[in-house]
Amino acid sequence: MKKIANFALSSLCVAMLAACSGDDGKDGADGAPGASGESGVSTYVTEKDVVVTNAQHAYAVYADSLIAAKQLKNVIEQFVAEPSEANFSAAKNAWLDAREPYGQSEVYRFREGPIDNLTRDDNGNPVLVAEEGPEGAINAWPLAEALIDYTIDMDGAQLPENPASLPVGGNIIADLAEFPDITKALLAEQFERGDDEANVTSGYHAIEFLLWGQDLNADGSYTPNRDYSAGYRKVNDYYTAASGMGECTSGVDNVVDSVICERRGDYLIAAADLLIDDLQGVVDAWTPGSGFHYVEFTKDENVKASLAKILEGMGRLSFGELAGERMSIALRTDSQEDEHSCFSDNTHRDIFLNAKGIQNAFNGAYQRMDGETLEGASIYDLLVVDGSHELANELRAAIEDTMAKAAVIDTNAKLGYSFDVQIQNADLKQPVTHTIEALKSQTQVIKQAIEALEVTTGDLEQDTDEFGS
Amino acid sequence: MKRHLLLTSFMLSALGCGGSSQSPEAKPSEPQPPVVTLPGQPNDGLAPLSSSTPDNNEHLAGGAVTTDVQNEDAFSQSAPAIRSDFALDAVFKSGDHLFRGTHKGLGPVFNNPTCQGCHIKDGRGEVPSSPQRAMTSMFLRISDENGQPDAVYGDQLQTFGTVAGHPTGALPKFNGALDEGLAYGEAYAFVEYENITGKFADGEEYELRKPIYKVTDLSYGPFNDTVRFSARVSPAIFGSGLLHAIPEQYITSYADPDDVDNDGISGRAVYVTEPISEQTKLARFGYKLGTASVLQQIAGAYRGDMGVTNRINQAEPCTENQVACNEQAALEQNSEANGLDLSDLDLAQVEFYNRLLAVPARRGFDVQTSTWQDDVKHGRALFFDANCNGCHVPRHKTGEAPASLLGDVDILGFTGESTPIAALSEQVIYPYSDLLLHDMGGECAPIKLENAQGGSCQVGENCIYVKRCEGLADNRPEGQASGTEWRTTPLWGLGLVQQVNARATYLHDGRARTISEAILWHGGEAEKAKQAYLAMSKTERSQLLAFLNSL
Repeated sequence: MKKIANFALSSLCVAMLAACSGDDGKDGADGAPGASGESGVSTYVTEKDVVVTNAQHAYAVYADSLIAAKQLKNVIEQFVAEPSEANFSAAKNAWLDAREPYGQSEVYRFREGPIDNLTRDDNGNPVLVAEEGPEGAINAWPLAEALIDYTIDMDGAQLPENPASLPVGGNIIADLAEFPDITKALLAEQFERGDDEANVTSGYHAIEFLLWGQDLNADGSYTPNRDYSAGYRKVNDYYTAASGMGECTSGVDNVVDSVICERRGDYLIAAADLLIDDLQGVVDAWTPGSGFHYVEFTKDENVKASLAKILEGMGRLSFGELAGERMSIALRTDSQEDEHSCFSDNTHRDIFLNAKGIQNAFNGAYQRMDGETLEGASIYDLLVVDGSHELANELRAAIEDTMAKAAVIDTNAKLGYSFDVQIQNADLKQPVTHTIEALKSQTQVIKQAIEALEVTTGDLEQDTDEFGS
Repeated sequence: MKRHLLLTSFMLSALGCGGSSQSPEAKPSEPQPPVVTLPGQPNDGLAPLSSSTPDNNEHLAGGAVTTDVQNEDAFSQSAPAIRSDFALDAVFKSGDHLFRGTHKGLGPVFNNPTCQGCHIKDGRGEVPSSPQRAMTSMFLRISDENGQPDAVYGDQLQTFGTVAGHPTGALPKFNGALDEGLAYGEAYAFVEYENITGKFADGEEYELRKPIYKVTDLSYGPFNDTVRFSARVSPAIFGSGLLHAIPEQYITSYADPDDVDNDGISGRAVYVTEPISEQTKLARFGYKLGTASVLQQIAGAYRGDMGVTNRINQAEPCTENQVACNEQAALEQNSEANGLDLSDLDLAQVEFYNRLLAVPARRGFDVQTSTWQDDVKHGRALFFDANCNGCHVPRHKTGEAPASLLGDVDILGFTGESTPIAALSEQVIYPYSDLLLHDMGGECAPIKLENAQGGSCQVGENCIYVKRCEGLADNRPEGQASGTEWRTTPLWGLGLVQQVNARATYLHDGRARTISEAILWHGGEAEKAKQAYLAMSKTERSQLLAFLNSL
């Protein structure tokens, strides 16, 4: 313990010496006991403290996601057993609740962590291998909805799924011959069917599609102009003979054999079950003290690389994933398919929560689902200790600016203009564009923070070097 | 010993140097291509390659644009230099999303709704598992005997059409487009195989599968009387940005159209007009060298494979004789400027994505000890000894990688600048191709009309167009390539092809199930090299394959 503290202190001194020559006014930086830090920040905040805080919060946010997923599965099971309108609403609400912690977890992506890379070696031990992680199975989108269940061909205007990869019998739920039993093993096996990355069959969005159905208009008609309503699935799609609620349908007025509704329920439960398994692996890897990745991530010799990973994840989520893939493409192509949570019209929360996750990482803070607030050493603190006070404030301001602008998207959706409506409406597009621009500015400041803290994100690939050994 | 041999061959090349650089078919009005110096020895400042001693960084197949990822995503990685640059990473990611996704304005006819559906995990497409499954990551090019597009069907058979009530695309239906006026897929193509056998010199037998291509269910009436087909499986796309960045004169230095060095290998450079700049440029992409740039290649694929029109290919893939296709096209709600399906921004981002896909590092090399596995090293020497490197030129050096002709992009739009791509520039790379046309031999029988039982057939729903060829020939001239000429396929990533897609096979039409079969199909200019393979001992063959699998 003592050794660790010494190491941390000396590395801090080195970092400070390198960062600023001459008198920087930080008399407390030598670590004199009780000396006050800058701007109320403890001078004892070290890189290691920030890394440990980040790792603990990773555990908390993934654990919350797991808890919410288990709750979702419970509610889904109740719904499938008794497909009433009330239980249907409860299932949808449980899905929306489950997205709240998970949306904030995405800042843990793009950094060679468990969510992207966790798999098992030949002995069954957890290991990180580039691109082998469960992220796709958990949250990939757009979905191959036509591979899962019936879809409505909207006046020939709907874009087809890849015809190469669809089952002969139409879709997994309808094809009793090719898929006699719908299990979580089947869902995992059919994920990226035919090696086609577009064939997403599991995870949050598969469950979302099975709960909401395609996002047609409120009257079930399809026109290019979408409205405030989310997906158009009716509860009758889950009426089985056993439930005695009524006739099973695949879409309004399309009565089908009860077995189809049973299989739809099987699919829903299997997808929730698989989601739990996948999240459990990530939670285990991040468990403080025992999780193999937690231990690796917080090791003294890895602290610098881990700090780089934190910042890399923040930067790449800010710009490439959120501003780029999730917002800019949806905005400019006005394509519902490119909207993240298109069935439930919950994309505004994805955007807000992804941005929030970045803010959490910066502030070293996370509010758990039960309301408890976790706080620890932050990148803000570290920048101040490092002497980059102005940069610390600049980054704080940039992130707050993003949050303020993302909050407008979120609020507009709550006022009835879902994200797919926002991106079609000239007035409502403005907040979307402003948020993208704020994320762009924020990314540039994150880059400065990377330089100031003297970490190199470019070296990250070496961590997963499997070659030549 | 081997070094000596190599030097001798360079000297022969030097003696044979005749400045025969001009493509015989280049149009006289176009600017003349650069003069070739020293065939086989580009003036790129690199020491000649040794057949016995690999270069120092030869395991880094793409130079700095090399990825260590070796799993099924080996072909889908970005260049390390842009990975940690948030702005470039974002453009790459946007391009990746567009590459995976569907676009508005698909059709009226198409082969696949997404880029990724053909270039599976950015790697090769595949042959359908049975004649009952439609081709979706391969297709047939068609033309008349002179290589001109068919008057009705154009230059490519699209298997699917956009018809209401067919949410995944309407398959072809005999005379369906004529009788019902609906934009069905154009025709149904499938392949059947005939096994042929042969023997290595040591007596070991091998079996090849000879493809017979058949076309039925013509939706728009019969083909022209001299119709020609050529089957194509989608190629892998990684590393294309590096190939695009090799200076023309380095590539043309390998050209020897009249085989003046008398080694049995010629190699022909062809030139095409680059879109937008309208300049004459060396063609380097396409199985028959049809395009000069990644941009031209992807713009052609958008239009030809997906029916997604764009700035470079503005017409839907319907000929004027396809009424149903044109009527369906008129219903498309083209959302982009000038009535196009795809925006320039989308096109530029997908171009960037394609260009910046990294090349997998070689296997068989120990980074710690800087040593190659023995069999890989021996196999490499055998590759040189058999003069496989006469076409599959191992090494090139890139110059300054040109900026996109569309301009620099970020996630929201064009920046107004036009900057060379530093990550791709000045890299020593090992693609194992000269990017030139070679005569690969073989010949085809005239296409016949047959019924399902193989009997003769004149006309009607039960008649099937059947194409049989010997060797690799397709008997279909295309652009400046003849019916027996093909571009040398780059071999980098070869050993990972089935890691990326277990069902993938080799050669332009996927007929070869193994790398060994692919070698055995070589003929024409590669006949000598194939004979050398046939003459190898079992150990040597396995060493050669170990080397090829390490690529």
